[in-house]
Amino acid sequence: MLPPRLENTATARTALAPAEAKRKFTWANWVIGVQGPLFGLVLLCIIFSCTTNVFLSVRNALNILDQVTVLGILAIGMTAVIVIGGIDLSVGSVLALTMMIMGWLRDTWDVPIPIGIAIALLAGTACGLANGLLVTKAKLPAFIATLTMMSVGRGLANIVTDGRQVVGFPDWFTALASVRNFGFLSVTVGLFIALVIVSWVFLNYHAVGRSLYAIGGGAEVARLAGIHVQRLTLWVYALAGLLSGVAGIAMASRLDSSEPSAGLGYELDTIAAVVIGGASLSGGVGGIAGTVVGVLIIGVLHNGLNLSGVSPFVQQVIIGVVIALAVTFDTLRRKEN
Amino acid sequence: MKLTFLRNAPLVATIVASLSFGASLSSVAQPKDVTIGLAVANLQADFFNQIKQSVEAEAKAKGVTVVTVDAKGDSATQVSQVQDLITRGIKALIYIPAGATAAGVPVKAAKAANIPVICVDRTPPDAPGDTFIATDSVSAAKTLGEYVGKLTGGKGKIGILQGQLGTTPEQDRDKGFNEALQDFPGLEVVAKQPSKAWMQDEGFAIGQDMLQRHPDITVFFGRADALALGAARAVKVANVDHKVVVVGFDGDVAGLKAVRDGTLQATMTQQTQGMGRLALNSALDVINGKTLPKEQLQEAVLTTKDNVGPYIEKHP
Repeated sequence: MLPPRLENTATARTALAPAEAKRKFTWANWVIGVQGPLFGLVLLCIIFSCTTNVFLSVRNALNILDQVTVLGILAIGMTAVIVIGGIDLSVGSVLALTMMIMGWLRDTWDVPIPIGIAIALLAGTACGLANGLLVTKAKLPAFIATLTMMSVGRGLANIVTDGRQVVGFPDWFTALASVRNFGFLSVTVGLFIALVIVSWVFLNYHAVGRSLYAIGGGAEVARLAGIHVQRLTLWVYALAGLLSGVAGIAMASRLDSSEPSAGLGYELDTIAAVVIGGASLSGGVGGIAGTVVGVLIIGVLHNGLNLSGVSPFVQQVIIGVVIALAVTFDTLRRKEN
Repeated sequence: MKLTFLRNAPLVATIVASLSFGASLSSVAQPKDVTIGLAVANLQADFFNQIKQSVEAEAKAKGVTVVTVDAKGDSATQVSQVQDLITRGIKALIYIPAGATAAGVPVKAAKAANIPVICVDRTPPDAPGDTFIATDSVSAAKTLGEYVGKLTGGKGKIGILQGQLGTTPEQDRDKGFNEALQDFPGLEVVAKQPSKAWMQDEGFAIGQDMLQRHPDITVFFGRADALALGAARAVKVANVDHKVVVVGFDGDVAGLKAVRDGTLQATMTQQTQGMGRLALNSALDVINGKTLPKEQLQEAVLTTKDNVGPYIEKHP
């Protein structure tokens, strides 16, 4: 057997030993961390390559990356939230709100898009901060705190334009999601990949990133160890709000429009992706690498089933079954370790 | 590690089995020459589901393969699905846009891949397809409005349960109904509220709230049969002391049965089966190089208790 895993099951102890936090990167470590879900992803790819001859192509791989970008950006923030033992149900609503603010600023007030984006991202961060304050100051359970923001955010998204959609952005803005630079990388996909790398390094190698695992492992222990639990919790929720905003902008670019009903139900897909990636809803366990694999599993599943021409009703059954199997598989493997 | 794998082998086998089960249910098993993509807005709505069934039945008769995807009302999902259909190498796309916006993106993507697009029910104004098949909603809603005017003697208070704001059918039904009401100054619209997904439970809640606020409402117009059925239920539960006329639109199977039973006074029956057949045949025509008319608008029939019978037996 391989040595005990270090990647995902960081406990309070890990954070207390900074030397361990600065361990060296090895491929072995990475593979161990995501091995279960990764196995499922590879298996899915093999199956779809057999059921349809159009699945295995560079163009389709790029399509999948494009299709998972919004979910992936949301899932990065959600990973941090779940690692500290929280949950964020408001991501879909905050996404819609930021998208609407940006669209409305341009449509009604002729605000240049970059300034609109900045204001929209601030609004997203503010929603996240409100979540964080409800959790840390008002002591609401994260589920309830973010459920209220889910409702408020959706309402505000509709209020901005009285429920109307905003259609038609300048070409350069829609090109961010549709033009593949150097033949393969659109700006939004590039942004997603950059965010993945930064957050992966942060969660694995930065002392603050490591202390998030400590908070999820046991908030009281982490506090006694000198970690600013309240402040970090606040910032993690703010970050999730900011990333929801980034996802909203990416979606507006992809759809060439803003609509208040965007992202309905995305919180569940996002949480599913993070959990498929090996995170535990009780906190302290999880990682960006696993989340990326989880996101890709969801993306490949949808894409492959469409390409195979499976009926939409059967698709829903298969998606449910595969997610159940993926998580069961991972749980059994963990028990063994 | 080997042990782990072996112990999980049954699980793995199930994944493989479930996937190949799904695949064998679909049409991939016998690839045919022509594959047509059908992107549906939301299969939970009976109206779209009927179009889907009719497209698939006609395709079977003509010996072509249809691949259906369901956006479940989400435009971002629909963009991804159309991408997948294009990758799959469809020869034409039958497209029912989900939501109001983003509708142009899939058409542009298909055009970029030289795939003709048949728009059904809704059309993106900025990027029209090769043809647009829909019910002439404006004139149908006008017919319905005139019927309501005659039935009520031109007097009453109307509550309108709107569909999803910004969609073509909602806008057209609004326009046609308002045109008809101009001839009946005694009919006043006292409440108007949009729904998100044209669903029955939404109609029930909206109808209940409207009755709470305006107990004197005498007419409900549901912009879809499901909305009207919800409103009719709300009327029944509220136990109002006067007759409330409830009318719908679409001619769903449930709506038609409700007209037969007197729950709804009238609906406008759209030719869903006919539209599905027309969509598939238009797709085949355009593949064979024919040019299609920009719009192929279909009549909707005012359906009341008197003429509902045949429609329930065989939907037009």
